[in-house]
Amino acid sequence: MIEYILGYLHSDVTPGEAGNLFWVTVYVLLVFLGISIGVIFMNWFERKVMAHMQVRIGPMRVGPHGLLQPIADALKLIIKEDLMPSGADKIVFWFAPVCVVMTAFCGFIVVPFGRTHAITDMNIGVLFMLGVSSLGVLGVIMAGWASNSQYPLMGSLRSGAQMVSYEVAMCMSVVSAVMMTSLVTGTGTMSMIGIVQAQEQQHMWFAFSFFPVGLTALGVFAIAMVAETNRAPFDLPEAESELVAGFLTEYSGFRWSLFFLAEYAGMMAVSAIAATLWLGGWLRPFPHLLGGAAWDTAFSLVPGLGFILLGALCLFYTARMPRLRSMRGNLIGLAGFGAFLALLGAFMLLPGVRTRVQDIFWFTIKVGFFMYLYIWYRTTFPRYRFDQLMKIGWKFLLPISIGVVVLTAVIGVRQELLALVWR
Amino acid sequence: MTVGEMLRRFFLVDLLKGMWVTFRHQNPADLVTEQYPLQRPEISDRFRGQPRLMKDESGKVLCTACGACALACPEKLIKVGSVRDPETKKKVLTEFDFDLGRCMFCGLCEEACPSDAITLSPEYELALYTREGMELQRPQLENGIERKVYEK
Repeated sequence: MIEYILGYLHSDVTPGEAGNLFWVTVYVLLVFLGISIGVIFMNWFERKVMAHMQVRIGPMRVGPHGLLQPIADALKLIIKEDLMPSGADKIVFWFAPVCVVMTAFCGFIVVPFGRTHAITDMNIGVLFMLGVSSLGVLGVIMAGWASNSQYPLMGSLRSGAQMVSYEVAMCMSVVSAVMMTSLVTGTGTMSMIGIVQAQEQQHMWFAFSFFPVGLTALGVFAIAMVAETNRAPFDLPEAESELVAGFLTEYSGFRWSLFFLAEYAGMMAVSAIAATLWLGGWLRPFPHLLGGAAWDTAFSLVPGLGFILLGALCLFYTARMPRLRSMRGNLIGLAGFGAFLALLGAFMLLPGVRTRVQDIFWFTIKVGFFMYLYIWYRTTFPRYRFDQLMKIGWKFLLPISIGVVVLTAVIGVRQELLALVWR
Repeated sequence: MTVGEMLRRFFLVDLLKGMWVTFRHQNPADLVTEQYPLQRPEISDRFRGQPRLMKDESGKVLCTACGACALACPEKLIKVGSVRDPETKKKVLTEFDFDLGRCMFCGLCEEACPSDAITLSPEYELALYTREGMELQRPQLENGIERKVYEK
């Protein structure tokens, strides 16, 4: 038994490939925990960033700089009364949030946080993720229909139409990235890990392959994924000024928080696809240009030093806090948080840990970039009208993404042929 | 549509400009929010807040009990009481009531006062839970209202 558990530690593959059930369970729990913490952090981060972009300060009172605000909100939501409309379809109403959460988290099975840090590797990884994440629309439609109310129904119908139409452009741009995997090696792959390895072998992130083509594909994906996850400026399904809260109108308390969790988990899943396909997944910046053992060591120190820097920043702000009796709790809290971050950073500097942690770190940074982009879009752009949304999807993004696919194919074949001729 | 405009729309220049604006405003120096009980706004001297009866250097109230403020007040909320001093034959102020609950802080009493005795000071924290404390008498007008300071 113990040998079975320890035996995996010497292998170089994901626990799913190794077929080790114990570590699969551990990884599933870790990913679930990590995503939940990510959602909590994103909630705080979004409110803070949005507030600063609107020249406000955002949550400030619960914990230092409002750090504990999402936890307080979650507690409030759990305590709140869980209403169910009298005319609602009880079973479907109950199952809709479960369905949405399940599909949102299911996609993370194939997300590679590092070469060995994925639950499993599937040969159809990208397809699986896209398929599972678009199943989420089923839950949304169920929620809208089961609520037995006009606004949710309108919201869910809009959501259905929107997600289906943007799926097409999204998948087309994914196809171009999948085609790029076959360039040097000659065998294309749809496995998430395989795609990152292809980028490693080609010495190029797919965002920069065939210069404007890869970037255009990423751009199309970055727009389509906002519509896909029903976020501003494409948040028509829950358009506050028109539909109260769209399909969420009749939900409250814990069920509502499940939808919230699913929305943010879905955002992370789609961002993870974008980071894997175009930004080199877990690869550190310039793995070949700045190659060699010295650079490897230097880059592996970055996560630990980054966390120590964050901790130092916390301690710096602790020192600058006003010395008021009412702020004493915050003072101790922020100092403790800073010390915790610094200790975590010091732990990440240990040689055994830092080689394992750095993959996750770079991947998280890339996903974080997309999450920031979501917030940035939301603060900047006003909501589109529904016909404008459809116009952008079908008349603008779809032709561009098809063009990208064709261009990728043409340039790729030309490059391969030239390589054959020169050989 | 000109070529320049087409290029601008194709490369989403206007959207990118908007994103730059929101990005720029994240600078913490731009913040305008005041955390009120901890940070207090700076009030101009000309702000019309809590009414006060001013004294001269010797501590004598400047009010001559002429009643001009009571006449000027559109709400008729000022009551000036006085007695005539038998020796100097001058009016002496006995009571001065000011019903803050009806005051709209127009400042006409301030303008009418010939001896600059009544002024609306920049003190602005006047909210109370009941109407009882709103009728100000002479001591409160001369020395300011004592507020209970709550400490956590």
